Amino acid sequence: MQFWAIIIDSFRESKDRKIFWVMLLLSSVVAAAMFCVSFQPGRVDIMFGMWTIETSAFTSADGLRADRLAAVIIDGIMDHVLGFVGIVLSVIATANFIPNFVERGTVDLVLSKPIPRWRLLLYRYLGAMSFLGVQTAFFVVLTFLVAGVRWNVWLPGYLLSIPLIILLFSFLYCISALVGLITRSTITAILLTLLGWVIIAGVQSLDDMFVLYPDWQKSEAAYHTARTARWIVPKTSDMTRLAKRWGHATNFLFLVEPETTKDRELVQRAEKQEAQRAAMNPVVIIGSSLLFEVCVVLIAMFKFSRTDY
Amino acid sequence: MTALAITEMTNWAVDLIDVRKTYRGRVQALKGVNIQVGRGEIFGLLGPNGAGKTTLVKIMMTVVKPTRAFGTILGRPLGHRGKLARVGYLPESHRFPGYLTGAQLLDYYAALAKVPLAKRKANAPRLLDRVSMTAWANTRIDRYSKGMIQRLGIAQALMNDPELVVLDEPTDGLDPVGRRDVRQLLLELKSKGTTVLLNSHLLSELEMVCDRVSILVDGLVARQGTLSELTERTLEYRVHFKGQVGAEGEKLRALGGHLDGDVVTFPGRDVGKVNAAIDVLRGAGVLIESVQPRKLSLEEIFVEAMTAKPNPRGAR
Ligand SMILES: Nc1ncnc2c1ncn2[C@@H]1O[C@H](COP(=O)(O)OP(=O)(O)OP(=O)(O)O)[C@@H](O)[C@H]1O
Ligand SMILES: [Mg+2]
Repeated sequence: MQFWAIIIDSFRESKDRKIFWVMLLLSSVVAAAMFCVSFQPGRVDIMFGMWTIETSAFTSADGLRADRLAAVIIDGIMDHVLGFVGIVLSVIATANFIPNFVERGTVDLVLSKPIPRWRLLLYRYLGAMSFLGVQTAFFVVLTFLVAGVRWNVWLPGYLLSIPLIILLFSFLYCISALVGLITRSTITAILLTLLGWVIIAGVQSLDDMFVLYPDWQKSEAAYHTARTARWIVPKTSDMTRLAKRWGHATNFLFLVEPETTKDRELVQRAEKQEAQRAAMNPVVIIGSSLLFEVCVVLIAMFKFSRTDY
Repeated sequence: MTALAITEMTNWAVDLIDVRKTYRGRVQALKGVNIQVGRGEIFGLLGPNGAGKTTLVKIMMTVVKPTRAFGTILGRPLGHRGKLARVGYLPESHRFPGYLTGAQLLDYYAALAKVPLAKRKANAPRLLDRVSMTAWANTRIDRYSKGMIQRLGIAQALMNDPELVVLDEPTDGLDPVGRRDVRQLLLELKSKGTTVLLNSHLLSELEMVCDRVSILVDGLVARQGTLSELTERTLEYRVHFKGQVGAEGEKLRALGGHLDGDVVTFPGRDVGKVNAAIDVLRGAGVLIESVQPRKLSLEEIFVEAMTAKPNPRGAR
């Protein structure tokens, strides 16, 4: 009862925000843009033929090459739309959930209810997450339907990105919640969360570099530091990779014309990344990231239960 | 521990023993407060700004952690969460989420207080009606006026049919009719056996409803007792007369009276002096209109308590 009361309240608060509706609108715009693209033999028509791109990358003699299309869609969505713009907007949109909650005059009443403080905070945390849950589900289901209905490309694996993106967001949101709880400032929460994300992404890509350029591994101390750091931070980049893998997106080699494929280094790198992606262990990735999140949330709960309001 | 054991047996609704609070930043808000509130009593907590009234209430409601405190609330140790389901609370200068409607707000906080759905559905319209807010039930709170928010806050504190209601400045922002409504509501609660602890700066209102009061000054209880106990302690007599006293005025002053027009006032309870004064007045040929013993108002007791530092330990 208390759980649902807080979730419903968080949801009402979300609905009251313009950014909630703006984000739904943006999702619809992206879906509509996808709808305006059609694939013909040898070319791609955009805006029902207003622009045309000459390419046979997506079509073969038998018709549409669904796997290639899926690769582009899922890759683009994970790297840019959901995995970047969506996350940034969500970080901004949800940053004031906790500061609003602990505002003087508002927090007094909820603290005086027969519910332990750690549970109050946890429920509120999940409530903020429901904001993103709705947004992600809306976007993914909508684009899933457009791809299916418009191009007859059905990508059930793509639907798995809903939980993955929610998890990815939660790894960042725990930072926002902790900062918001301590500073009670929305702006600080946004800035530190985005900064945290940059650091987390930096740690991960540094570690990736050691795989792509094995020469670097000669500097052992640096290599071990990078490995350890990667273990600790939540694996945001790996989450999008996982979403791509589960969405059965293949690599982009097919986009490269046969002549340029002579560029061995490019091919090798792409293959290595492919191998890396295949070698990922979802349990380790999600588990270790969740460990990070749990630690941060526990710190926030501890802080919340010891503060005088 | 024995102190605790004894209080468990007594039947106080609120029994606070040696409550102390030092905020971070070394503000000693409470310096050892003892307060007992009997069941079914309306208890007034008063004191100047910064005396620690809100801090004490927040400690009772587990919003603030005491530095040190013993005692019980509704028979359970201070800080017991489960018992809070039986307590209603109106915080000072509360801010309700503006996106909720009045009805949604009542339901939300009552759900947090573990009030079953059926009871919430029954209580919300009844209480909204009681605070004259039925017409506004489905309007967003950010369209409410200050007094409307306060009325809603009072309704909110009663949603769980509490055994104890703690109200921090309930009449803040209310118009005279609203304040009278609140007074009536408090008396209704009392008649149903609900204990009320309230905190207000409007002494005349407290005087009208409270059974007992406690005056908090600088983190310590300066005065505590029933209103008659507090007001009986100090008396003055006022003698009204008609006519000119003339030179006899000096004699009245010698007896300790303060002459002001056709009233002479004698502080204290010395009836002998008053009678001597009457003799003087009669001798001067003036007519005695009335002799009134006057009890001090709560306000005067309040001011007196504030100016006389209650306890040297309490001095900062
Ligand atoms: N969160 C806090 N942190 C530090 N000091 C505080 C805090 N809250 C209150 N105080 C201090 O504690 C003392 C008592 O404050 P409190 O709010 O309990 O007074 P009050 O009696 O309710 O006053 P008022 O009549 O103005 O409402 C004040 O000196 C105040 O500055
Ligand atoms: Mg106060």
